[in-house]
Amino acid sequence: MKEGFFRPREYHRPNNLQEATWLLSSFGKKARLIAGGTDLLVDKPSEVECLIDVASLDLDYIRRDGDGITIGAATTLDLIERSQMFSAGPYVVLSEAASNMATPTVRNMATIGGNICNASPAADLPLALMVLDSTVKIYGLGGSRVLPIGVFFEDVNRTALNEDELLVEVHIPPSPASTGASFLKLRRHQTAIDLAVVNVAAKLTCSDNFCEDARIALGAVAKRPIYAEKAKRLLTGKGLDGKLIQEAAEVASQETKSIDDVRASAQYRRRMVAVLVERALKLSVTRCGT
Amino acid sequence: MTKRDISICVNGKWYELAVEPYETLLDVLRDRLGHTGTKSGCAKGECGACTVNIDGKAILSCLTLAVQVDGKEILTIEGLHKGAEPHPLQEAFVKQAAVQCGYCTPGMIMNAKALLNHNSNPSEKEVRKTLSSNLCRCTGYERPVKAILEAATIMRGKDER
Ligand SMILES: Cc1cc2nc3c(=O)[nH]c(=O)nc-3n(C[C@H](O)[C@H](O)[C@H](O)COP(=O)(O)OP(=O)(O)OC[C@H]3O[C@@H](n4cnc5c(N)ncnc54)[C@H](O)[C@@H]3O)c2cc1C
Ligand code: FES
Ligand code: FES
Repeated sequence: MKEGFFRPREYHRPNNLQEATWLLSSFGKKARLIAGGTDLLVDKPSEVECLIDVASLDLDYIRRDGDGITIGAATTLDLIERSQMFSAGPYVVLSEAASNMATPTVRNMATIGGNICNASPAADLPLALMVLDSTVKIYGLGGSRVLPIGVFFEDVNRTALNEDELLVEVHIPPSPASTGASFLKLRRHQTAIDLAVVNVAAKLTCSDNFCEDARIALGAVAKRPIYAEKAKRLLTGKGLDGKLIQEAAEVASQETKSIDDVRASAQYRRRMVAVLVERALKLSVTRCGT
Repeated sequence: MTKRDISICVNGKWYELAVEPYETLLDVLRDRLGHTGTKSGCAKGECGACTVNIDGKAILSCLTLAVQVDGKEILTIEGLHKGAEPHPLQEAFVKQAAVQCGYCTPGMIMNAKALLNHNSNPSEKEVRKTLSSNLCRCTGYERPVKAILEAATIMRGKDER
């Protein structure tokens, strides 16, 4: 066999989480989970010897419970895009992010869990989930654990998952009234298949233009998606006007660790972060219903 | 290598096959079953030439492993016609001259088929959004859009009769 080809020798489709973690732990680094395959089968990593399909784990669901909304890891993006649960309130930020991703056909296949666990710095859904204060539920040999999504991402393509663990679901807590959120993305050619040069999600809770709380998440400007903490602090507890929003957008762009790459220069990215954050904040204000 | 036995239904006919875990549905359709109507454009999810229908949904066969569709029913461009009669989408594509080099056509038609499965009366905007999954460097999309809208009208007429 030639080196460097994608040649897994085994394919498993476990029927429950225990079986899945057992397979993950026994194959270790040579195992890889597969969901929609829209990242994995493009990358085709040659080190993978065993594929573990999440298709029969019953992880495709969107549920509203007393305590917010829960989305199974294997839920495809077309369902998120169309779901009534993300058609109103700050939750629209998630359907906005989903409908701006890839092409409609890719969205029929791509899952929320794959988008999160691939941990691309430019991924779209993580930003929306970050401003919604989501948590992720992880299952492994030691049982379940829950993490805030902000700490789940560690580096380019690296997450907090251990070898025996998989992502089970994402939980979005309820937001206070008069909260608005939005997602914006800049692509190089503005075509459906271009990843973000910069992508931004914002969420504001405000009454009579007084900002009670704020979240800003930035993509494609560091090794992982980040929160703009300084910009958030600048906005919180103040009356919002055009000047303050502009200032916050500038501060946010200074918080990035942009790099030059094939899609854009670092300097251009920083400028565009300021532009996108300003627009996303203004849009979020109009959606607060005040 | 450990081959796996799978059975898949392609255009109404069941096949039993032993496949490697890394074989894509696209390769199996074309190289094993000789269904070369489904095209390979980019093999990485960007062009839509390899689009087929599974459970009535448009799916990229280049990013689907054959082992993942064990037990499933797959519809390709070769399965659309009824006997000697072409599908209304095929007829409309010919009538509207929506085919130039034709490489993107099977993928476009299978994507349009999936759209019409759940939306029998799509707007032009919805058709264009659907076709954003399919790269075409010949037609400029005008005629494919017209053809799909025309086929939708014809198919609605047939349902009412
Ligand atoms: C043409 C094209 C355009 C694209 N455009 C965009 C875009 O605009 N924005 C964007 O963000 N992405 C984009 N993508 C990337 C991709 O579609 C998404 O990241 C998608 O959500 C991945 O989901 P999947 O189910 O296909 O993942 P897979 O490819 O199946 O898996 C991705 C990774 O996640 C792991 N994984 C999957 N499920 C789990 C789980 N439950 N627990 C732990 N690990 C898991 C896998 O092991 C793998 O490492 C694009 C891809 C293509 C082909
Ligand atoms: S060949 Fe599958 S999308 Fe291009
Ligand atoms: S007709 Fe040639 S690519 Fe579409």
